[in-house]
Amino acid sequence: MFLHYVDLSWRSFKRTPMVSALMVFAIAIGIGVTMTSLSIYHMMTKDPIPNKSERLHHVQLQTMDDGEGYWSKDDVPFQVTYQDAINLQNGNFPYLRSAMYKAGFSVHLNSAQFKPFVQEVRLSSKDIFQMFDLQFIYGGTWTQQQQDDIAPVVVISKSINERLFKGVNSVGQSFYLDDIYVQVVGVIEDWHTPVKYYDPNNGSFNDPENIFMPFTMGAAYEITTAGNTNGWKHEPDNTFKELLASENLWWQFWVQLENAQEKEEFGQYLMSYMQQQQTLGRFNREQLTYNLFNVMELMDYRGVVKHDNQIMVALSFMFLAVCIANILSILLAKFLRRAPEVGVRRALGASKRQVFYQHLVEVTLLGLLGGVLGIILAQLGLWGVRASHGAYDALASMDVTMLFAAPAIAMVACIIAGLYPAWIVCKTAPAIYLKSQ
Amino acid sequence: MSELKPILNALRRSKVGAILLLLQIAITTAVVSNSAFIISEKMTYLNQATGFVEKDIFTFQMMHFGNDVNYMRQAELDESTLREIPGVIDAVIVNAVPLSGGGSSSTYRLQPTGQKSKGLNASIFEADSHFLNSVGVQLVEGRNFTDSEVVVSNDYAQYPTVGIITQALSEELFPDGDALGNTIYRGDNPVKIIGITDVMKGPWLKLDRRDWSVIVPFVMADKLTQFIVRTQPGERAQVMQQVEQHMLSSNRQRVVENIRGFEDLKAEYVSPDKLTMRMLMVMIVVLVLITALGIFGLTLFNINKRTKQIGTRRALGARKSDIVRYFLIENSVISTFGLVTGSVLAVLMAQQLMKHYSLAQLPLPFIITTAVSVLVISLLAVIGPAKRAANISPSIATRTI
Repeated sequence: MFLHYVDLSWRSFKRTPMVSALMVFAIAIGIGVTMTSLSIYHMMTKDPIPNKSERLHHVQLQTMDDGEGYWSKDDVPFQVTYQDAINLQNGNFPYLRSAMYKAGFSVHLNSAQFKPFVQEVRLSSKDIFQMFDLQFIYGGTWTQQQQDDIAPVVVISKSINERLFKGVNSVGQSFYLDDIYVQVVGVIEDWHTPVKYYDPNNGSFNDPENIFMPFTMGAAYEITTAGNTNGWKHEPDNTFKELLASENLWWQFWVQLENAQEKEEFGQYLMSYMQQQQTLGRFNREQLTYNLFNVMELMDYRGVVKHDNQIMVALSFMFLAVCIANILSILLAKFLRRAPEVGVRRALGASKRQVFYQHLVEVTLLGLLGGVLGIILAQLGLWGVRASHGAYDALASMDVTMLFAAPAIAMVACIIAGLYPAWIVCKTAPAIYLKSQ
Repeated sequence: MSELKPILNALRRSKVGAILLLLQIAITTAVVSNSAFIISEKMTYLNQATGFVEKDIFTFQMMHFGNDVNYMRQAELDESTLREIPGVIDAVIVNAVPLSGGGSSSTYRLQPTGQKSKGLNASIFEADSHFLNSVGVQLVEGRNFTDSEVVVSNDYAQYPTVGIITQALSEELFPDGDALGNTIYRGDNPVKIIGITDVMKGPWLKLDRRDWSVIVPFVMADKLTQFIVRTQPGERAQVMQQVEQHMLSSNRQRVVENIRGFEDLKAEYVSPDKLTMRMLMVMIVVLVLITALGIFGLTLFNINKRTKQIGTRRALGARKSDIVRYFLIENSVISTFGLVTGSVLAVLMAQQLMKHYSLAQLPLPFIITTAVSVLVISLLAVIGPAKRAANISPSIATRTI
C-alpha cells in the first residue's frame, strides 16, 4: 500500500510540476538557511570530547580579597595563580591532573638551512595526554622522574613531526625551542577540536597547541605566558620570581574525577586547601568558594556560543515557519482542487484514514526531496561562511548528525504543513463530487 | 470602496488561506525589520573611522632566540634600520597594535588609590616619540614627547609620569575641557597629560574602551617585539616584502612573522560580525523572495478556483480594471492586517533581543520602511496573476454552467 501511495504522489507531482517544484524549492530554501546556522551552532555546542566530558573538571578558585570584582558572571576568576596551580598539582589526592599554560617559542634546528618558525607550546603535566585522549603514534609521555627533574623533553604533534623530522619516528631526536635544546619523547596525532574548551581564554575557536613540555620547565627557565595574565592586587610583579609569588592569574588547572563521590571529595579537598592558605595570609574573605565545572558546564559558563549565532538560529527557524506557511497554503489549494478525484476514491471504498495517510505520504516525499536539496544549499551556505570568516573553518561544516537532521527537519516541517490540508481533503463527502461530475 | 464588502465576505469564506498569507506577511515583517536593524548596527560598527590611513600602515612581530642579544640595543638598531628603508615614513616599537584585538589596558582615575574618583578603563600604548607619526595620528592639543621623556628600560620603577591621551578619553574624564596639564592616576602612578590626540582607535573595536587610549613614553624591548611601520602611499607592498630580509640581515636569530596591513587586522577582528551581517542579508533577501512567491502562487490558485466567478462578473459588465482592482484590494486588506500584526510582532521580538542579547532598541523607521516595502512587494506579486485573471473571457462563464 505504501508503494502505491508513493506512486500516487509521484503522479500528483507530475500533474502539477510547477507548483510541486515551487514547494520543494520553498522547503529546500528553508532547510538550507536553517541548516547553515544550525550546523555552526551545533558544532559550537556539541560535546568536544563525548566519552570524557563528564569526568574532566576545570578548577577555579576565588582567590580575590573581599570587595574585589572580576568580569565573570559569579566574580570567580577564570584562571588560577602559579602557587595554586603548583600546590594542586602536588596535592595529595589520587586523581589525574594537570596544571597548564601556553607559551610562545621560536622552533629551530640551529642550522642555516632550516628557517625558524614560531609555535605555541603548552606546559602541562604528563597526565594531559591520558586525560584529554591524545593518541600517541610514537613513544609516550615523559616520566614522573623527568617531570620532577625538569628534563628538557617534549611531546610533539604529527604535523610538527612532519615539519621538523619529515614524519619519521623522531623519538630521541632533538631540536631547539628558543635556546632550550629539547628532546622528543613522543609524537601524538594532531589535536582536533572545534572548540578549544581546555583554554578558551584567548578565543574559544583557536587551534590547539602542537608541542607539549613539562610544566616544571616554566619556573626553571622563566617561561612567560603567551596567554592572558589577570591581576587584581597592587603588588610587585616586575621580575619572574615576583610574578610566581604574586596573586596574578595565568594558569589553568584540570582534574579527572570519575564520579560524584570523587567530585565531592575533591571539593572538600579544595575547601581545606583554601582554609590552609588563609592561615598563610591569602584568600582574605568571609566566604570561600570555588568552581569545579565539567567540560559542558564550562563551555556554558564561558559563553562559548556567541549571541550572534543564537540570534541567527532563532531567525532561521522563523524563516522556516514562513516557508511552512507558504507550503501549507499551496498544499491546501492543491489538495482541494483534487477533491473530486478523492470523492471517487472515497465512493469506491477508501476510508478517510487511507486518504489522510495517502496525502501525508505525498507531503513527506516533498519534504524528503526538499531536505536533500536543502543539504546542497546548506553546503553552499557553509562554504560561503568559511570563505567569509577563516576562524570558522572547523565549525562551518555538517557532521553526520546534521546530515540526517536536515531531511528529518524537512519532513517534519512538511508534515506539519500537510496535516491540515490532508485532514480537510479526507473529510470530503463523496456524494457532492459524484453528483457534480 | 463599494467592493470592500463583497471582498470581506469572500475572505470570510476562505479564512485559512487568508490567515496563512497574513501570518507569512507578519513573520516576514518582524524578521526583516529586526534583521535590517541588526545589519545597520553591524554596518555602523564595520565602517567606523579608525583614525588611521590603514592602507599605508603595517605591523609585524619579531620573536628572538639566542642568549647573546641585548634586546634594548637591538630594538634601537631595528627602529633606525626600518626608518631608513626607502619609502618608509616612520616606524616604532610598540607594546600593543591598534585594531589587532590584543594589548593591555588599565583603569585611569582622577585621584590616586584610596580616594573615590571617576575612573575609566583605557588601552595603554607604550612607545617612543615616533608613535604618533608612525600611526599617522595628529595632536589636537599639547605636544609630543621629547627625547628626554622617553624611558628605555626593563625596569617598571622608572615608568614615565607623562602621557598623551585621546580626545574621547579627555572629554570623558574632563568634561570641562581642562585635560591638558592635568594628572590622572593608574593605581598610585601619576600620568601628567601633555598632549591630546585626534580620533584613534585602540586594539579592541568592540569594547567600550575603543576610543579611550593613553600613550606612555616607555620602550621595553623583550623576546617578542611588535612594530608599526607607515610608508609613503603606494609603497607599502614593496616595503612589506623587504622587511624580513632587512631585519634578518642585522641578526639572524629571530623569526619575523605576522606581517599584516592595518586594514587586514581590522578585517580579521570584525570578520565574525561581517559574517553575521552577510548571513542576515542573504536571509532577508531570500525571505522576501519566498513570501512574494507564496503570494504569487496563492493568487494564481485563487484565480483558477474562481475562473467561473470571474467570467460571470465579466459577463455581467465588470471591466478588466475592476477584476485587477478586486485582487489588489483583497491583497491590500490581508497585507494591512498582516503588517499590523507583523509590526507588533517586530516590537515584541526586538524586546526579547534587547533583553537577552543587549541589542539597542529597534527604531520605528525600520518597522515602517519594512512594512511599506513588504506591502509594495506583495502588491507587485499580485499584479501579474490579477492581469491574467482580467483576461478571462466572459464566455467561460456561459460555456461551463
